[in-house]
Amino acid sequence: MRLLRNTAIAACLGVASPFWLSAADLVDAEQRKFFETRIRPALVEHCYECHSAGAKKVGAKLFLDSPSGMLDGGESGPSVIPGDAERSLIVHALRHENDLEMPPDKPLPQAVIDDITKWIAMGAPDPRTADATATTAKASNEKFYTDGELWSFEPIQNPTPPSVTGRSWPRDPIDQFVLAGVEKQKLSPTADAEPRVLIRRLHFDLTGLPPTADAVDTFVAAYRATGQVAVTTLVDELLASPHFGERWGRHWLDVARYAESNGNDGLSRNATFPHAWRYRDYVIDAFNRDLPYDRFLTEQIAGDLLAENATSPAERDRLLTATGFLAIGSKPAKAMNTNFEMDVVADQIDAVCTGVIGLSVACARCHDHKFDPIPTRDYYALAGLFTSTETLWGVAANVSLTAPPTELHVLKTAQAAQPPEGLDQRIDEIESRSSKNDTPLKKEFTYPPGTPLAMGVRDRQQPADCNINQKGDAKKLGDSVPRGFLTAYSADLNAGISIDPKQSGRLQLAQWLTSGEHPHTARVMANRIWLHLFGQAIVGTPDDFGVYGERPTHPELLDHLASRFSGDCQWSMKKMIRAIVLSRTYQLASQGDETTLAADPENRWLSRHLRRRLDAESLRDAMLSVTGQLDPAPADGSAVRHFDVLVNHAGNLHEASDHRSIYLCQLRNSPPPELAAFDLPAALNVTGKRDQTVLPTQALFLLNSEFATAQANHFAASLNAVDTDERIEQLWRRALMRSPDDTELASARYLLETLKPREKAWSSLCQSLLATNEFRYID
Amino acid sequence: MSPFPTPSRRRMLQTASCGFGSLALQGLLGRESLHAANPVPHIAPRARRVIFLFMSGGPAQLDTFDYKPQTGNTPHSGSAFKFQQHGESGLWVSELLPETAKHADKLCVLKGMHCDTGIHAQSALQLHTGDRLRDRPSLGAWVGYGLGRDNRDLPGFISLNTSRPSSYGSAFLPANYQGTPIGVNGEDMSLATLPNVTGDHLPTEAKRQQLDLIQMMNRRHQQQRSDDSQLDAVIKSMELGFRMQATAPELLDISSEPQAVLDRYRVGKNHLEGTCRASDFGRQCLLARRFAEAGVRFIEVNHGSWDQHKNHRRDLQANCRTTDAPIAALLEDLDQRGLLEDTLVVWGGEFGRPGLTPGEKDKDQTGHQSSGFTFWMAGGGVKAGFAYGDTDETGKRAVDGKIHFRDLHATIFHLLGLPANDLKFRHAGREHRLTGPEGGRVAHDIIA
Repeated sequence: MRLLRNTAIAACLGVASPFWLSAADLVDAEQRKFFETRIRPALVEHCYECHSAGAKKVGAKLFLDSPSGMLDGGESGPSVIPGDAERSLIVHALRHENDLEMPPDKPLPQAVIDDITKWIAMGAPDPRTADATATTAKASNEKFYTDGELWSFEPIQNPTPPSVTGRSWPRDPIDQFVLAGVEKQKLSPTADAEPRVLIRRLHFDLTGLPPTADAVDTFVAAYRATGQVAVTTLVDELLASPHFGERWGRHWLDVARYAESNGNDGLSRNATFPHAWRYRDYVIDAFNRDLPYDRFLTEQIAGDLLAENATSPAERDRLLTATGFLAIGSKPAKAMNTNFEMDVVADQIDAVCTGVIGLSVACARCHDHKFDPIPTRDYYALAGLFTSTETLWGVAANVSLTAPPTELHVLKTAQAAQPPEGLDQRIDEIESRSSKNDTPLKKEFTYPPGTPLAMGVRDRQQPADCNINQKGDAKKLGDSVPRGFLTAYSADLNAGISIDPKQSGRLQLAQWLTSGEHPHTARVMANRIWLHLFGQAIVGTPDDFGVYGERPTHPELLDHLASRFSGDCQWSMKKMIRAIVLSRTYQLASQGDETTLAADPENRWLSRHLRRRLDAESLRDAMLSVTGQLDPAPADGSAVRHFDVLVNHAGNLHEASDHRSIYLCQLRNSPPPELAAFDLPAALNVTGKRDQTVLPTQALFLLNSEFATAQANHFAASLNAVDTDERIEQLWRRALMRSPDDTELASARYLLETLKPREKAWSSLCQSLLATNEFRYID
Repeated sequence: MSPFPTPSRRRMLQTASCGFGSLALQGLLGRESLHAANPVPHIAPRARRVIFLFMSGGPAQLDTFDYKPQTGNTPHSGSAFKFQQHGESGLWVSELLPETAKHADKLCVLKGMHCDTGIHAQSALQLHTGDRLRDRPSLGAWVGYGLGRDNRDLPGFISLNTSRPSSYGSAFLPANYQGTPIGVNGEDMSLATLPNVTGDHLPTEAKRQQLDLIQMMNRRHQQQRSDDSQLDAVIKSMELGFRMQATAPELLDISSEPQAVLDRYRVGKNHLEGTCRASDFGRQCLLARRFAEAGVRFIEVNHGSWDQHKNHRRDLQANCRTTDAPIAALLEDLDQRGLLEDTLVVWGGEFGRPGLTPGEKDKDQTGHQSSGFTFWMAGGGVKAGFAYGDTDETGKRAVDGKIHFRDLHATIFHLLGLPANDLKFRHAGREHRLTGPEGGRVAHDIIA
């Protein structure tokens, strides 16, 4: 932008009021919201390119990216006179009055100018802290969504289902919302899925396991006779299965960045978490008992505080274990890291905010969030809850350079599991690179072998507010910020929740998140549920409901689901899932006609179902299941339950197992080899949506891996029909739940007759079926 | 209307997947897919393949290649290290890179690099995909889409020690163009391999028979679901995986290399200090050479982190020490084998760093600088022993010979014989290209 030239106007402008710099503290929520949704985006989009710390060339020494910058002004003097828009230079410039015209090429839309005028008249309340300016601004050229308020902060509506032309089509209000969108695009929904397709889809979606061929036949007959009655019966059976929790628990473990080791701490050390699996089991159990989502969250954030009033010792153990959620994050090494404690807090804030409300608050650790309405003060208000909390991760393989040792929750009712003969509870003893052997563990951190322990958190003896760490540096302390929550929400949400100064405030955080008025909690979870049932979400970025996240494809449907979830369903995840899978939309076929495919290749409008690949766990579980090898019982503990060691020292810690994949040992940077090829999350951050790659290494897993070949051998050995054709029939029915057609039968026979060595022919044929797309994809 | 009607595109991709040269490009340039009004000229390729040495975290250009003695009146920090001119070209290289400096006459140093943001993740994504925010095809995927594969038994795009799928992903391009990762960041790169690339449970002939049955089933399955390009990609990846068994194990096994070569590359030598992570960079560079020899089209090699905020001097030295000799060995070998001629080597990070604060000698801290930083290229048709572009007298911003990431992408495309701004793919109702709506400018001045 050109220099500001109008010194005449500048000369007549007044000087800033002295109270200005403290004004950030006085900005109330409404004003903050106005600033964040109307003013900041406009400044960033239209002005920062030339008037910010990040500008390539700063115009007229004027900085508009901080309160002081706006107030002190540039070469032409102060740009803003709080409370007096008519005397504010920026308003004159924006109106293209006199010869000062900004932006120089074209005036801004009148609405934007009006907003800025209104904002100055309000006293120019500016929540940006002075800190923000000191950091290099990166916001030039940012594209903002200025087409309205940030949608996700708006209260959840309970919209009336729209009327549709195809009146007989919808089965549930969900279908009305979807059909209205489809009709608006001048498309029409595809056919209903065939019952054999539907039962397979339901089995995998609700339990992560395939149905047997007999179950398919039974269901097909029932569906033909009774239609949706049969579907409802099936759905209720599957929801009641203990495998439901193993499937949906795994989805939540992705969000909870669950792992059983710390992952590389930056010094290549990767300490196991021998007790993390108890949190895994807690999650599975929570889904199976249909713990309402609000309670589920509260237990994970503040279970230790509820445990004091637990009704039984077992309940106490369960609640303490729930707080593992806050303790299983990946930490950078403690060595030389003065910010270590705040790094732990950062992980906890990220898990809660990104996981529960879909907002990344992490940037605000160092500066006001550039795009979302999260000022640094808010970050430290939240941080105070966690600095008032003691995190119990254990002894980190007794390498204090990776993390200082902590106690753990001692469980009262869980069974003690003694290490096997000849194996002491192993604690790593290594010579670190920079010091001699770590000192032996202090007594307070050691427990008799086999003691049932759980990771988690508890309140510190003396909770306290947290000081702002300037630019995220724990050694540069700024103001202390009273503990609290995010201020970008309407004042009502924060009213009435006050933090007991003698507690950390985590319980109140949980209350705040689950009050039902919170605009994000229900939307984010409803969206996550939808994602797992449709393969794509209504908000395509399930972990980001902020400015940079995608906009919902079906905003009304999302609000309908969210209000139904916290309302009629009373936060029951099973009820929410049940409602969705019984909708007609869910039960559509995955084939579409040419027109629809051309008009909507990504299936944005849901006129069909999306074909999906089995994820890593479902693929392995399905293979075990059809070969007859699956041990359907929950696994007891974990391969590392007796190993408090560094994964990088220990070599392979994984053990072969026939239990479901969720029970395999989930070490960071060392994933289970049976799953690693298929896009497991790295578990460093919240992962709402996994990547989905197609790689030759996946082919190699299916063709060569020890697991695949072993399953093929088991499969072959389990086929017991005498006649070759009958055996082929048996194989097809078990793997693909159908009979082979003539071509397939001929090809199979040919393979069996010609493949050498002959004794490998059957296992080779079995392995082939497990590698087909028909086996690996759900229609 | 789409320049790639679906059936012909599918045909084209099928031919491309059979490998062998630039069938996809020929398809692209073929009459049926041309905009009649805007014919794409055929560009003679100067490079056949790319080795991208991605220095994650943002290397400090003022301490490596962008020599800034105090000249004007504005006091500035310059470098914390000594610089010297090298080779006949007299390129300035700092004392931190003595081995690379020996190859100064092969380098084309780009000092006018700049980009949009100092946020690591976003800038790294933009460098890899042209977009800072959304999931878009990566550079290597575009190159594969444009040129096809040179070796039908290996992936066209391999990423070593990679950090996230978005940097080697294919997004809306057909999935068979995505990169194959070897070693995910955090894994021990000395052991990183392609898992399951061998298996002796069946003889090769039996495996072929087995795969034929699988593919027959897959093709029949797909015929009922012809809209699904992912199923098509799986079929191709099954075939590729099968073929890789014949070639990849030998390629990945560096034990056949003479000890002198392993030493030159410093294979297995890690220098862990501060932000400098273990990456067995020597093994990565040696593998890169072997892949290049075998005809892999796009190879990415990763080392990090150059994000040394505090302890700038110590950590920068560690990063330089780790990467210097292996890079020199790579350049030397490529040159000796005549590969440098058609292999474009590109070195750089997601941005650079400002100098240490002047006047505060004790302060050992730097930040991020997107307004001006340095890349270098070598081989593949670029001028050798050449410095292009410059930053201002304080090194703060690029002022001359400016190259944005999209210009870098355009230039790489051009050197490969791809039309910089006309390699497009229609997706979700509009055409996409790597260089984005702005388009990229080819830096013709650096082409030999």
